[in-house]
Amino acid sequence: MGFAQAFLASARREAALLRQRPWDLAMISWVPLLAVALLWWTFSAGLPNRLPIGVIDDDHSALSRQLTRFLDATPGLQVSRAYGDPAAAAQALRRAEVYAVVSIPRDFARTVKLGRAAQLTLLHNAQLGTHSSLIQRDVRTAVGTLSAGAEISARTKRGEPALAARVNMEPVRVGMITLFNVSTNYEQFLAAALIPAVLHILAMTAGAWGVGRELRDRSIAEWLGAQPSWAATGGALLGKLLWPLLGLGCVAALALLWLTWGRGWHPPGSTGWVALALLVFLALSLAMGAAAAAGSRSLRTALSATGFVTAPAFAFGGVGFPLQSMPVLARAWAELLPYTHYIRLQMEQLQMGAPLRYSLPTLAGLALAAAALLLACVPLLRSAVARPQSWGGR
Amino acid sequence: MPQCLRNLLRAWGDTLRAIGGDFGVLLILAAAPVLYGFFYPWPYAQQAVTRVPVAVVDYDHSSLSRQITRFAQASPRIDVRWVGGNEHDAQLALWRGEIEGYAVLPRDLKRDVLRGSPAVVTVQADGAYALLNKAVLYGFAEAAGTVSAGIEIKKLQARGQSAPQAMASRSPINVQMVALFNPTEGYGSYVVPAVALLIIQQTLLMGAAMLVGTWAETGRHRAGLSAWAGRLLGLCSVGYLSGLAYFGWIFLVQDFPRGGNPAGALVLLAFYVPAVCTLGALLGVWFGNRERALQVLLFTALPMAFVSGFSWPAEALPAPLQALRWLFPSTAGIQASLRLNQMGAPLGDVAGLLAVLLGLAVVSGLALAWKTRPALA
Repeated sequence: MGFAQAFLASARREAALLRQRPWDLAMISWVPLLAVALLWWTFSAGLPNRLPIGVIDDDHSALSRQLTRFLDATPGLQVSRAYGDPAAAAQALRRAEVYAVVSIPRDFARTVKLGRAAQLTLLHNAQLGTHSSLIQRDVRTAVGTLSAGAEISARTKRGEPALAARVNMEPVRVGMITLFNVSTNYEQFLAAALIPAVLHILAMTAGAWGVGRELRDRSIAEWLGAQPSWAATGGALLGKLLWPLLGLGCVAALALLWLTWGRGWHPPGSTGWVALALLVFLALSLAMGAAAAAGSRSLRTALSATGFVTAPAFAFGGVGFPLQSMPVLARAWAELLPYTHYIRLQMEQLQMGAPLRYSLPTLAGLALAAAALLLACVPLLRSAVARPQSWGGR
Repeated sequence: MPQCLRNLLRAWGDTLRAIGGDFGVLLILAAAPVLYGFFYPWPYAQQAVTRVPVAVVDYDHSSLSRQITRFAQASPRIDVRWVGGNEHDAQLALWRGEIEGYAVLPRDLKRDVLRGSPAVVTVQADGAYALLNKAVLYGFAEAAGTVSAGIEIKKLQARGQSAPQAMASRSPINVQMVALFNPTEGYGSYVVPAVALLIIQQTLLMGAAMLVGTWAETGRHRAGLSAWAGRLLGLCSVGYLSGLAYFGWIFLVQDFPRGGNPAGALVLLAFYVPAVCTLGALLGVWFGNRERALQVLLFTALPMAFVSGFSWPAEALPAPLQALRWLFPSTAGIQASLRLNQMGAPLGDVAGLLAVLLGLAVVSGLALAWKTRPALA
């Protein structure tokens, strides 16, 4: 049998099998779609608003009430409770009813009026990293506004014109421009990075499952023939992987289109290039799963390997925690993982608007790795076919 | 000894033997949790993001712009790789990944400051990566802010204020940030204690479902209540050990915040492990296939982590998800574990979360009993 013939026969056989096995079909169609939709939905708010914080106001002055109003008016914060004493506030923090407490000392207003520096305290729950960093930023801004107001009024009282006071207050100002993801929108940042991570797991699983199942069910000779040629083996492998690639590829393309154009986000780079890279990345993931199954001749081992390689790929990918801050060997492992490279390409195109030439080597590398792994599968599969005693391992 | 107790004890022993004799199940139930306990925190070993590579584009070439550059070079957050006179070069370096951000010191910076007209230093940081972005922005903001404060204080002193007076007038209201529960604000200390519960859940779910799925393939899953109680006890014994390994050993060895309420943590495991094991056994019966659990459960950890509320605030979830997320034991498990182990809450504070776990255990237990009832003779 030649390559094309084997490809068609294998694709036809696989399609018939998928129709008989609803679970297998589900894992390359509606389950990925559901997983991707769930991830998008999780982050659909974009930015968390109105995180509950508490206030301990020991001052009870007009200024302390103004500060409380300022905090509550900040979109990211909600002053949900006022606490009479630190013990009650500590309990609320431990119960995570509030994520932070602003403590306003007695004599706060008087200190400011006398022209001395007043000190507020923000107790924040640093165990919840995102919550605490958003709250710190917003409280800093609210207090900064209040402080600037107090400084301007002190300066104008001393006879400085209001406009000059404003400039004199901060001779060198820092204009912070966050390039690319201007609003630090988590839908564009985390959902866009997590969806490929989940599809990566699903694709390697599908590759391992497709090939591993033939070995477990001792049907590998039925699939490849008793003594398949190199070309026929390669064709049969591609024919089998065609369906998961189509199913997961469609889900990936839909997710990408929805996250970008569907949500009114027009990325500065090439969305088409990202779509192509995502498809190649999924092909590579499928090849990784197929190679793990062909190499280990055990469906279970191949799936365990899938878990080991793909499940922590997001943690190693440099999105949440940067690559440059990882220990050398952990970084080396991260550089071996294809997700790390794919997600860099996606960031370059969707967020940074980098010219295509910066993303070209990554796509070429992913494609080359996929081709090499698929080629490596061929001798492994041929030798597995030749050894019926190695089939059926669980 | 009553018959049912004898059945239970026999099933318990048989299950432990079955786990020990099944290499695949043993690997997932016993080896994987320990392996992941060290593998997963590995990238976060240094905990903090420091010395992020940046550039300074200096169009001013004045003593002031050099001073800001020096302060930036001294910042532990950023590492000034080069100082140049061209924004375009900085942009290219950003795309190549050589730097993560840069500051532009405009022409006439010093002259504007001396004349008392507004001078602005712009900082451009890569917003695609949140932690890098934060380090670059704060690093430059602190450097420029320090220089700015120095100028302002000098000006105030020139107008007759004493040094402490000048300090107070330039910043009348300050806020001191006090980090609770994770005092170093380490990234690993924030992520890993929560993810630990997810690792415990996923390995237990897969191991239990794989073992029970193997039984289901041959019809061995059908058994009476006492036998099933013994089987679950067998699975829970292993699950409890992996829970103890995390709470008592892995947190300790890796120096994560821990030990807030050790007795409470033991009680939590007594609720969490049975809820997960029963659900795992139910999934195994439902799948009726040894390897299916791995296939179906591998990808679920990521979505479960982000609806559990430790990294993405639950307040920001759509309302239906805020309710649905309690169907995963990990949601209540992570919330309760953070409160007990890391925040040191008393057991009473997590009673509601334990009730959720109990509810999940009871419902999946009833479903399991129904699905595995012995066939009528």
